[in-house]
Amino acid sequence: MAAAPVTCVRLTTSMHTNQIVGKSSTMRIVPMGRVKSGFPCLRTSRFRISCSAKPETVNKVSEIVKTQLALSADTVVTPDSKLSTLGADSLDTVEIVMTLEEEFGISVEEENSQNITTVQEAADLIESLVEKKNATA
Amino acid sequence: MFCTSALSPLQLPSRMETHLWYVLPNEVKSQSLLSQYVDLLSPLEKDHVFSMRGEELQKSALLARALVRTTIARYQIHSRVSPRSLVFRKNAHGKPEVIWEQSDDWHPPPLHFNLSHTSSLIACGVTVGSPIGIDVEEKQRTMKSNILSFAKRYFSCEEVEVLSAISDPEVQRHEFIKLWTLKEAYVKALGTGFSGAPFNTFTIRFGVANPNPEDSAIVIVPLEKPTNLTTNWQFAQVQLAGSHYAAICRQNDGLPGGASMKVIVRKTIPLVEEHCVPSIVPVDD
Repeated sequence: MAAAPVTCVRLTTSMHTNQIVGKSSTMRIVPMGRVKSGFPCLRTSRFRISCSAKPETVNKVSEIVKTQLALSADTVVTPDSKLSTLGADSLDTVEIVMTLEEEFGISVEEENSQNITTVQEAADLIESLVEKKNATA
Repeated sequence: MFCTSALSPLQLPSRMETHLWYVLPNEVKSQSLLSQYVDLLSPLEKDHVFSMRGEELQKSALLARALVRTTIARYQIHSRVSPRSLVFRKNAHGKPEVIWEQSDDWHPPPLHFNLSHTSSLIACGVTVGSPIGIDVEEKQRTMKSNILSFAKRYFSCEEVEVLSAISDPEVQRHEFIKLWTLKEAYVKALGTGFSGAPFNTFTIRFGVANPNPEDSAIVIVPLEKPTNLTTNWQFAQVQLAGSHYAAICRQNDGLPGGASMKVIVRKTIPLVEEHCVPSIVPVDD
């Protein structure tokens, strides 16, 4: 699946008025037939518009993943990189989640940690949990 | 232990037995053999193998699929079953299972399997009539996190107490790894995923205060009331190749007196050879 190139739509949500608490921040839109005007024109037939995490968050996650998996400095880790294809087993994934919890001051429930398969997903989840934490602080 | 040569008929495990097969990637060097393994795979499996980053991970993923396909086919269940013809799917929670070709005159045996791998060893457990979960870890695996911090976050209080009571850090690390494999094996046997049985909702309890080699003494203690967790499971712990801890979990068939699980361990190079190895229960290193 290709992520929408260049144009990353960032939806700002007000946690008090929009009732998005607890939902995944990633939307997947599959256009049927012609793509409506206003959307970027893409060669692929499926694309994802996500409430993307800040680059700093993605970078931090990548750093933590690289450390946990002892990846060489020249290993390319992108937001779409899957933890399993980088060599993470279940114990690695749990260690990564725990390190992320400590780093960002959040708590990840088991059902959410199971859904973390890529760097992007981890970063998005972190940001939604940080937002939620800040909103209730 | 009796040794079997490759391709001679192999009996399915009896309902009292568990078969554990393993392969060491370091022993599989032949490119032509690896190509033969690739030929056994479904297109999806090939995509998955080649999506792995780097040769070592690709080889490990390839061997895992080759192991499970050749192992199931070894039992010569039906003339139409070959390593290549097997079809797999994942259950609702992602646990892999075989889809058998059914017909009026043949009903497949209730064969269950579960895979686990590290970069240096891949294992496949096989049972008849009971779901199975296995997990293997390198004995020398080091944690990036502090072991007790990790245990406090993910394990039960009782388990943290047991680990905290171990003063030697190396022994503590070994016991932690063994405990992890037991918990993983249970969750994999249940087949409902990590969130179906979060690690801190059950204790793995040993017969006495400290872990001991008596497998029959290992029990599951659910911590929530009411609980969805079932407890009619039995465990075995074995050492493989002198380098790995393996935990096996399967249903307890109401065997009298908590009889130990009978595990038959075979080391193999798929399509090439296999031999039985004595089942070794881990002792304190």
